[in-house]
Amino acid sequence: MNSSGGAGTTIERESSTDTLLVTERPWLVVVWNDPINLMTYVTYVLQKLFGYSREKATKLMLDVHHKGRAVVASGPRERAENDVSRLHRCGLWATLEQPE
Amino acid sequence: MSPRRRISRARRGGFDVRLPPEERDLLASLPGQLEGLLDGIGDGLSAPPPALRRLFPVAYARDEVAEAAYAALVRQELLEHRREALAVLAQTASASHLDDEEAAAWLGALNDLRLVLGTTLEVSEEPVEIQPEDARYADWVCYSYLSFIQGELVEALEGTLAPPIPGADDDVPDDPWGELPGGLRWDGTMRPEQPGPDPS
Repeated sequence: MNSSGGAGTTIERESSTDTLLVTERPWLVVVWNDPINLMTYVTYVLQKLFGYSREKATKLMLDVHHKGRAVVASGPRERAENDVSRLHRCGLWATLEQPE
Repeated sequence: MSPRRRISRARRGGFDVRLPPEERDLLASLPGQLEGLLDGIGDGLSAPPPALRRLFPVAYARDEVAEAAYAALVRQELLEHRREALAVLAQTASASHLDDEEAAAWLGALNDLRLVLGTTLEVSEEPVEIQPEDARYADWVCYSYLSFIQGELVEALEGTLAPPIPGADDDVPDDPWGELPGGLRWDGTMRPEQPGPDPS
């Protein structure tokens, strides 16, 4: 935990204008391997939800399958949480993670 | 397009469905069984029973407070979404043509049925050999059938995807972890501690 600005938040002083910039480390949307969802279905969902090419979606699906997980998107917490909920609607095991 | 396919894109838009009556009967009856299970979870805010766990995944696997807030925000909507898809599948199980919206509902409902059935059958990555005398033989046949029909539907739907969004592929960050974060497993639960070296 970051003691200066709460979890995941850093506050930087920008010297030129002397204003405070609050930047949040991005949250990662992680899809986990599971033995039930069809590989073709996972590839389809990643294309449908995120607009990825078939090649990219297939690569992410194979990462999920072989490595056990794949980072499929990232962004501010609110957007990442929305992405997770869209994946949950499709029945994929997705979580939000913020790397230490 | 092979005439043997059960689900395929229709020239006039939407999808043609060619199923024998016994398969339609199955697809008409399964949604009601799952809806019955969903009735039992009330407002959906308490922890779902194990069989339904996959329908309500955890978003924050290591933060109970954030997870409770997330569940309060999305569970009810998720429940309604799943109910609506199941109702569409039951209502259109005898249809010879599906529009795009109905096909999307079929995809969701078929996947939900597989998630629940697969959970109760404890499906794993390991192949299993099922014998007709096994007590759950009928469930395994049902699961395999749903996988087959969902696979055909996915193939048909792939042809309807919008073109990729330019630049979207490049926005995906690299995986920053060498090890699984926090020892998590695929289902969001913690990985058990590895046994230490044998003291002897």
